Amino acid sequence: MRMDIELYGSLGENELIKASIDGKKEAFSEIVNRYQTMVARTVKSMLGDSVFAEDIGQEVFIKLYYSLPEFRGEAKLSTYIQKIAVNLTLNEIKRRKRFLSMFSQTGNNEIHEYDVADHDDEERRDARELVGKALMKLEPKFRIILTMRMLQGYSTKETAEILELPLGTVLSRLSRARDQLRNILKKL
Amino acid sequence: MKSAEIKELIINSLSPDKSSEDDWKRLEEAGVTYSFRKDFRDKVLDRIFTTGITINREIEFVRSMNYVFYRIALTGVAAIVILLISIFLMQGSLSFNSFIGLSDSYDESIVCLLTGN
Repeated sequence: MRMDIELYGSLGENELIKASIDGKKEAFSEIVNRYQTMVARTVKSMLGDSVFAEDIGQEVFIKLYYSLPEFRGEAKLSTYIQKIAVNLTLNEIKRRKRFLSMFSQTGNNEIHEYDVADHDDEERRDARELVGKALMKLEPKFRIILTMRMLQGYSTKETAEILELPLGTVLSRLSRARDQLRNILKKL
Repeated sequence: MKSAEIKELIINSLSPDKSSEDDWKRLEEAGVTYSFRKDFRDKVLDRIFTTGITINREIEFVRSMNYVFYRIALTGVAAIVILLISIFLMQGSLSFNSFIGLSDSYDESIVCLLTGN
């Protein structure tokens, strides 16, 4: 088992995909290991650090596993996973909005959960809390752009590709998001 | 890193004309990190592979049921055909009376029995 883990750890993306399609559990385990932090950044920055985010994170990898046979390798695996993560996260936000709109007539119908784990020192925890709170005050369409740029480190072009939006739309949203975030950060 | 520094870093990282990679790494160093729980991978694998086995078992069960159904259905059809042939040979027709075992002839003894005359 340990040898398997070491073997799959040294494999490239394509070999891991092939082995996962063949039902090799250790190969898919390695894929989860490599990309779980990236998925966590997207999902948790969008939904907050909660149990729901963990569930959506799991859904991302489950969906990935079942869609691997359809993955043609035209894009990087990380981009493919990121697209799944973004779609599932935005769907979850829509689902929550629909659910809450049945009970509330107020404008902002999002559940804001931000349970910051306390295993870090205070300064690091404050930093995470600050970013989390600021992001949660933004509309999802701006929040996702900031997540891609600020937390994932994608370029504007890559962000446009992942979100399947025209470059101009990403640029205008980024500009508006930056202005909004600046105002939010002043108040925090 | 102080709160003001982080705020500045966030704003700087959003400039459209520059790569945000360095700022992103600095944010991560400052503590803006995200991770799932330690058992996240195990849970994902459990949900895929354990549920996968359950689905396979369900599919096998449905297949077995189909197979059994076809065998029962074929046997039933064969039995009905044999029954029809035997009725036709014995009664000479496939009328309703021949199905329920009555002959077409008028039986006076049944009328006497029922009416008492």
